[in-house]
Amino acid sequence: MEKQVFITVGREFGSAGHIIGEKLSERLGIHFYDRKIMDELGKQIHLDDEEIKKYDEKPKKGFFSRTVNGYSNSIEDILFDMQCQFIRDKADSGESFVLVGRCGEMVLGDRENHISIFILGDKEEKINRVMEVYSLPRDSAYEKMRRHDKSRKAYHNSRCEGKWGDSRTYDLCVNSSKLGIDRTVDMLETYVKRRLGLLG
Amino acid sequence: MLVAQIIAVVIFVVMFVLVVMEKIEKQYVTLGCGLLTLVLVFGIAMRDMNAVVETLNFKSIINPGFWIGEAPESAGIDWATIIFLGGMMVMVEGMAKAGFFRWLCMLLAKAVNYKPIPLFLAFMVMAAVLSMFIDSITVILFLAAVTIELAKLLGFNPVPMILSEIFCANLGGSATMCGDPPNIIIGSKLHYAFVDFLTNTGLIAGIALVVMVFYFYAIYHKELSQVSKTVDINSMPKPTEAIKSKSGFIISSLIFACAVVMLITHSSTHLSVAFIGTTVAVLTCIFNIKDIKEIMSKVDYKILLFFVGLFVVVGGLEQTGILEAIAGFIEKVSGGNIYVMVAIIIWVSAIASAFVDNIPFAATMVPIIQGLSAGNPALQATLAWTLSMGTDIGGAATPIGASANVVGTAIAGKNGYPISWGKYCKSAAPATFIVILMSMVIIYLRYC
Repeated sequence: MEKQVFITVGREFGSAGHIIGEKLSERLGIHFYDRKIMDELGKQIHLDDEEIKKYDEKPKKGFFSRTVNGYSNSIEDILFDMQCQFIRDKADSGESFVLVGRCGEMVLGDRENHISIFILGDKEEKINRVMEVYSLPRDSAYEKMRRHDKSRKAYHNSRCEGKWGDSRTYDLCVNSSKLGIDRTVDMLETYVKRRLGLLG
Repeated sequence: MLVAQIIAVVIFVVMFVLVVMEKIEKQYVTLGCGLLTLVLVFGIAMRDMNAVVETLNFKSIINPGFWIGEAPESAGIDWATIIFLGGMMVMVEGMAKAGFFRWLCMLLAKAVNYKPIPLFLAFMVMAAVLSMFIDSITVILFLAAVTIELAKLLGFNPVPMILSEIFCANLGGSATMCGDPPNIIIGSKLHYAFVDFLTNTGLIAGIALVVMVFYFYAIYHKELSQVSKTVDINSMPKPTEAIKSKSGFIISSLIFACAVVMLITHSSTHLSVAFIGTTVAVLTCIFNIKDIKEIMSKVDYKILLFFVGLFVVVGGLEQTGILEAIAGFIEKVSGGNIYVMVAIIIWVSAIASAFVDNIPFAATMVPIIQGLSAGNPALQATLAWTLSMGTDIGGAATPIGASANVVGTAIAGKNGYPISWGKYCKSAAPATFIVILMSMVIIYLRYC
C-alpha cells in the first residue's frame, strides 16, 4: 500500500475475527501479525512454546504479582511490554500491517492511519464454528468459547482504558455472522480504502 | 474505646488489602488511612488530642537526643527511620551516579578471571555484604544487570546466579540494622545499635550465608558449568570504564566509608541513625551540588511517605490497645513459654513476609514484642532478633516477598530470562525454610 496503515482487530472467540484479519491483510497486501509475534519474541526470550502460550494474552495474576519502582515480576507484564515494543518498532519501521488482538488499538492508538475494528458474532454461529474448527461437541465448544472470551476480556480491560467489545473503544464493530467471512472482508476492505482516501 | 478499636482495625485491614492489591499507589493508601486514623480514631471516637500529638511525634525531632545522645522514648511516626532511609537513598544515588556499583561488580568479575563458578560464588557473597549497608533493591538492580551482561558475553544462563544473588541480598540485609527496613524499624523503636544487630542477627546471617553458598552451589553448579563460549578476557569490559567521574567516584566512596564507620561506631559515639542519614545526605549534596537536582529526583519519596502513613495507622492500633491485646493473646497461646513465643513469631512472620510487604508487618509487630517482653530486656532482645530473621528471610521465599526479588526477577525477564513462580520457589523456598529453621535453632541455643 502507498500509505502506511495499521489495522487492529479485536474479536470474540468463534467470530472468525482472526481469519477475517488475515484475509484483509492479503487483500490489502500488507503484513499480518497475531500470535506469531510471540514466536519472533521467543527467539529473544528463553521460554518454550508451551510456556509462551500460558502467558500470551493473559491478565497478570493480581495476588502473585508485585510492582516495585516500575519493575514487575509478572511474566504476563514482561511479555506484554515486549510485545508492545515489537509492535511499535514495526510501526516505526514504516511497515503496514493487520494486528489481531494484543490490545493493538491501545498500543497504536496515537498513530495516524490507525483503524480499529472489533469482530463479534451470533452465539449459535460462534458455537457452530468452534465445534467445526476444534472438532468439539456443543457443550465443550460453548465452554471453550466462554472461557476464552472471559480471559480476553480480563486481559484487555486490565491493560486498556477502553473496554473490550465496547463500541466506543473501536472505529468499527462488525457482526461477522450477518455477512459471512468473505463478504465481511469485502466490506472491511472498502471501509479501509475509503478511510485512506483510496476510493472516491 | 471499643468503637475506636473497631475503626482502627478496619482502617488497618483496608490499608493492608489496598497495599497488596496495588490498585492505588501505596503511599496514597497509607497516607489516606493515616488521615482517617487521626480523624476517626483519635478525633471522633477517642476525642484525644494527646494521641494525635503522640502519634505525629514531631516533638521527638526537636529533642537533642533524637540526633546525638540518648534517644527519647516515642510512639507513632518513627522519624528516625524515615530520615535515615531518606539520607541513605541520597548517598546511594550519589554512588550510583559515580559508577561505584558497576565498577565494584566488574572489579570482582575481573578478580575471578570471568569464570562462571567463581563469579557465582563471589557475586553471592558480594550481594550479602553490600546489602548489609545498602538497600537490597539497589544492590540487585546493579548486580542483576551486570550478571546478565556477563552471562551474554560468557555464554551461561544468568538465572541461577540472579536467584542466588537475590537470596543472599535478603540474607545480608538481615545482618545489620540498616540492611532491611524492618531492621531499621526494630532498631530505632527498641533502641538497638548497629553492633547489636551485627553480633546477633549478623552472626546468624553469617552462618546461614556459608550454608547457602554450599546449597546454591550444590543445586546450580552443573548448570553454570555449561558455558557456550570461549572468551578472550582482554575483550571484557574494564572496571575503570564504569567510573563516570573520578573525583565523584572517590568522594562517593569516602562518604560511603564514612557512613559505614559511623554506623559501626554509633553505639559508642551516640550519633543516632537520623544524624548519620542526614550527614551522608548533606555531604552527598554538597559534593554533587551541580547534579543535586538529578540525585534528589531519583530518591524514592514514595516509600518515605508510605512510612509516614503506615506509622500513623499502626499508631492507631497502638493507642487503642489492639496491639497490647494481640501481645496478650500470643502470651496466652504460648503459655509464657519463650520457645513457643519464638516459634510463633519466627514462622508467622516468615510466612506472612513471603506473601505480603514485610514493612507493615514489622511495624505492627514491634509494639507487640514490647508488650510481650513487659520490660524484660533479655526477652525483648530475643524476640527482636526473632522478628528480624522471620521478616527479613521470610521475604526471600517467593518472587513477591521482598522488593529485591521483584526487581531481580523483572530485570531477568526484561532481558529475555523470565522467571516463573515455580522456577523461583524451587530453589528459594527450601532455602528460606532451611535458614528460618537454622535461625530458630540458633536463637533457642543462644538465648533461651
